Amino acid sequence: MNLKYRMLVILGLIIASVWALFPRTVVERVKRNGEFVYDTVRRVPLKRGLDLQGGMHLALEVDESKGVVANKSEAIDRALKVVRTRIDQFGVSEPVVQKAGNDRIIVELPGIDDPRRAQDVVQKSAFLEFQITDKTQALDKALPRLDALLKGKSVAVAAVPGLKKDTTPAGLSSLFTADTSKAKDSAKKDTTKTDTTVALGGPGAFSKLLTRGGIPGEYFVAQTDFDVMARYLGMPEVQAILPPGKAVRWGADTTSIGAKIYRGLYVLDAKAIMTGEHVTDAKPNTTPIEGNVVEFQMDNEGARRFRTETGRHIKDYMAIVLDQRVMGRPPVIQGAIGTRGQITMGGKDLQAAQDLALVLRAGSLPVPLKVAEIRNIGASLGRDSIQHGITAGLIAVALVVIIMLGYYRFSGLLAVLGLTLYMLYTLAALAGFSAVLTLPGLAGFVLSIGIAVDANVLIFERIREELDRGKTVRTAIDEGFRHAMSAIIDSNVSTALTAAVLYQYGTGPVRGFAVTLLAGIAASMITSIFVVRTFYMIWLSRARDAQTLSI
Amino acid sequence: MLRILHGTSYDFIRWWRWAAGLTIAFILIGMSSLAIKAPNYSIEFTGGTLMQLEFQTPPDVGAVRTALDNAGIEGAEIQQFGTNREFTVRAQDAAHVAAQTRGAETISTQIENVLVQKFGLGRVKIVRTEAVGPRVGGELKRGAIIAILLSFLITLIYLAIRFEWRFGAAAVIATAHDIFTTIAFLKLMNLEISLTVVAGLLTVIGYSLNDTIIIFDRVRENLKKGGKAKQVDREVLNRSINETLPRSILTHATAFAATLALLLFAGEVIRPFAWVMAFGIVTGTFSSVYVAAPVLIWIERKWPRKTEARARSASSTATPTSRTRPSTATATR
Repeated sequence: MNLKYRMLVILGLIIASVWALFPRTVVERVKRNGEFVYDTVRRVPLKRGLDLQGGMHLALEVDESKGVVANKSEAIDRALKVVRTRIDQFGVSEPVVQKAGNDRIIVELPGIDDPRRAQDVVQKSAFLEFQITDKTQALDKALPRLDALLKGKSVAVAAVPGLKKDTTPAGLSSLFTADTSKAKDSAKKDTTKTDTTVALGGPGAFSKLLTRGGIPGEYFVAQTDFDVMARYLGMPEVQAILPPGKAVRWGADTTSIGAKIYRGLYVLDAKAIMTGEHVTDAKPNTTPIEGNVVEFQMDNEGARRFRTETGRHIKDYMAIVLDQRVMGRPPVIQGAIGTRGQITMGGKDLQAAQDLALVLRAGSLPVPLKVAEIRNIGASLGRDSIQHGITAGLIAVALVVIIMLGYYRFSGLLAVLGLTLYMLYTLAALAGFSAVLTLPGLAGFVLSIGIAVDANVLIFERIREELDRGKTVRTAIDEGFRHAMSAIIDSNVSTALTAAVLYQYGTGPVRGFAVTLLAGIAASMITSIFVVRTFYMIWLSRARDAQTLSI
Repeated sequence: MLRILHGTSYDFIRWWRWAAGLTIAFILIGMSSLAIKAPNYSIEFTGGTLMQLEFQTPPDVGAVRTALDNAGIEGAEIQQFGTNREFTVRAQDAAHVAAQTRGAETISTQIENVLVQKFGLGRVKIVRTEAVGPRVGGELKRGAIIAILLSFLITLIYLAIRFEWRFGAAAVIATAHDIFTTIAFLKLMNLEISLTVVAGLLTVIGYSLNDTIIIFDRVRENLKKGGKAKQVDREVLNRSINETLPRSILTHATAFAATLALLLFAGEVIRPFAWVMAFGIVTGTFSSVYVAAPVLIWIERKWPRKTEARARSASSTATPTSRTRPSTATATR
C-alpha cells in the first residue's frame, strides 16, 4: 500500500476515534430539585458500568415458594412489562430493564440514591389479594401440636449460640387472663370492640406468644416476639402442622395495645376471593380518619366478580393482603362491594402511599418475584474506582514508556506513539459499540497497555536479528515485520478466543472486561502491524539513505 | 543499541527436573491446603450478602461484631478493607438470604439498621451491597468452569490447526499447569475467588498461551529452516527459547509494570485480580519454558513424526508442518 494511503487510513481512524469520543450533547433524564426532567447534557459518550458510576443492579426471578408457575418464560415477559412501567414512573436516568435467559429480569438503575425504596418499587409484587379470615379456629386446633413440637425443638434451638432464649418473654401470658371461650364469644358478638385481646392459655412455646385478636382468625404477637415467631413460622416442621387450606399472614403494621406494641397475625382462607389484576387505577389520598390511604378502582369484569364473591361472604371479614401482608385491619363485609376500594396505609407516610399507588397502577406482577442478585454500589465508591483506575493507568503508561524508550530509543518512540493511538482506538471502539466500561474492564485496559507493546517488541527483536545478519535498514524492517507476523497473529487470535469465551459466559462486570480485552486486541494489532509500520515508512522516506536504525 | 541477554545459549531444558520438582511441590502444597480447608469463594459463588461499610471514624471491630451478633446475624465475617475506616461484612448463609430476599427486610437492610442504631445515623455509610441467591451462585460457578474448559478446547483446536496437535497438546498442558499453580497461589495467599479473579485466571491463560506460542512459533520456524526439518528435540527448543529471550524479558517487564500499577494504585476491589495477574506472568513464563517444552519433547518421543516411507503413503493427510523427513539429522547450527 502506498504511503499516502496508509497515512490517510491512520488519519481517518484518528478522526473517527476522536469523533466517537468527542463530548456530545445527549438528551438525558436528570434529577433536578427532586424531579426528573429531560435535559441536554454534554459528556464523553463512554458508558460507565454501575460499578463505576454507582447504582443498583437487580436480578429477579420467579418466586415459586408459593406455588409452581407453569410457564415461567411467559410470566417473566408479562412481569417485565410491569417492572418497566414502574421504573419509568419511578424516574431514573437511563434505566435498563431486560430479560436475561428464560426466567430472569435484570434491572439496572444508575445513580440511584435510595436503593431500598427502588428495590421496593421494583420488587413489590403489588400482588393484591382479598382473602376471607378464618372462621374455624383452625390455628387454635393446631396449637397443642405446635406447642408439643416446639417444646422438643426449643431445647435444641437454645443450645445454638446466637439465638438467645431471653428474646422470648415468658411473662406475656400472665398479663392476660386465659379465657378463650369468652374471647370467641366476644369476637363473634362484638366486632367493633377492636381492643379486646385475650392471651391464649397454655404455657406452650408457640401459644404463649399469641394473643387473640377481636375478629375471627386474628391474633397479636408482641413486637418483641416478632423475630421468634417469624422463625417458628419459617420452620418446615411448623409449616407442616399449620392448618391446610389456610394461610398465616402478618399484618403490615404494628398497633399498640396498652403499653406494648403488637403485630397482627392473621389466619386466612388460602384461596383468595379476588386478586388485584383487575385494578385499573389507584391514587394516594389522605383521609382524616384513616390517615394515608390508597384508593383503587376496578374494571367491569373485576367489579362483577368482586360483587358476587363479597355477596357470598356477607358478615365475614375480608383481609386486604398486599404481598402477603395484611393491610390495616380486615373490615367486615357489610354487603356486596362494587368497583372501588381503599387500602389503609397505617402509620406510613404519603410517599409510601404514592409508591403503592404507583405499583398498583402499573399493574401487579403476574407472579411474585424474588431477588436472585443485588449489587449496590455507592456513587462515591464508583468515583473512587475511576480515580484509582486512572491513576493506575497513568502510572502503567509512564512505566511502559520508560521501558520502551530506554530500550529501543527511536523505535521505542514510534512504539509509544503507536501506544497512544492504541489507547485512543480502544476507547473509541468501546464508545462506538456502546460497550459498557466496568471496573474490571478498566483494569483490563490498564493491563492491556503493558501487553499491547508485545507485538512491537516482537517486531523490534526481529528487526534487530535481521540487522545482525547484516541486512540494510530497509530490508531489516521489512523482514522483521514479516517474520513477526505469524507469532503476532497466533498469539492475538488465541487471546481473542479466550476473551470471546469470557464474554459468552461472563456477566456484568466480567463481560465488560472481555469487551475491553477484545477491543484492545484489535486496536493493538492495528497499531503494531499497520501504524508503527507506517511510521517507519515515513521515517525511511525522510532519511532515504539511513545506514543505521536506532532500535 | 541496548541489549540484554542477546545471543545467549543457555541450556534451559537441562534444569527441567528441578523445575518440575519445584512446581509439583508448589502445586501439592496448594492442593493439600485446599483439601484441608475449602478456598475462599466470593459470595458470587456461594450466595450470601456482602456489604462494604465506611465509618466516619475508625470503629471498634469488636463492637461491630457484637452489634451484629446481638441482632441474630450469625456467622457474619467482618474484615478490614483497605483503610481502617472501611470494612466488609459478609453474611454467608445462602439459604438464609433466599428466605430473606423475598420481602423488603433483607439481611442487608437488617445489617444496615443494626449498624445505624449502634453507631448513629451518618456515622456509617453503606458504600456497596451485594446479595446473591444460591441459584445464581451455582450458575456462576458452572459458567466459570465451562468458560475455562471451553477456552481449553478452543485453544487446542486453534493450535492444532495453526501448528499441529503435538504443539497444541503441549500448550494446553502448560496452560493447565498454570491454572493449578494459580489456584494454589490463590489458596496460599488466601485470596477470595470472585468472578473478577476467574476473569484474571482466564487472562493468565491467554497470556501464558501467548508466551508459549511465541516460543513454539520459533520452534516451527527453526524446524523449517534450511530444509533440514527434524524432530523437535532439546537443542531446537533451547535455541528457540534463547532466541526469544530478549522479547520475553521485555514483554514481561512491560506487562509486569502495568500489573504493578494495578496492584499498587487501582484500589482494593481490583487488588485480587492484580495479584492473580502478577503471579500469572511468573507462572506463564515458567510454564512456557519448563512445562510446554519438556512436554513437547516427551510427546515427540512417544508419538514420533512419521518416517519418510510412511509419510509418503499418508502424505494426503499430513499437514504442512508435520511434513517430516527421516529423523536422522541431529541438531546443527
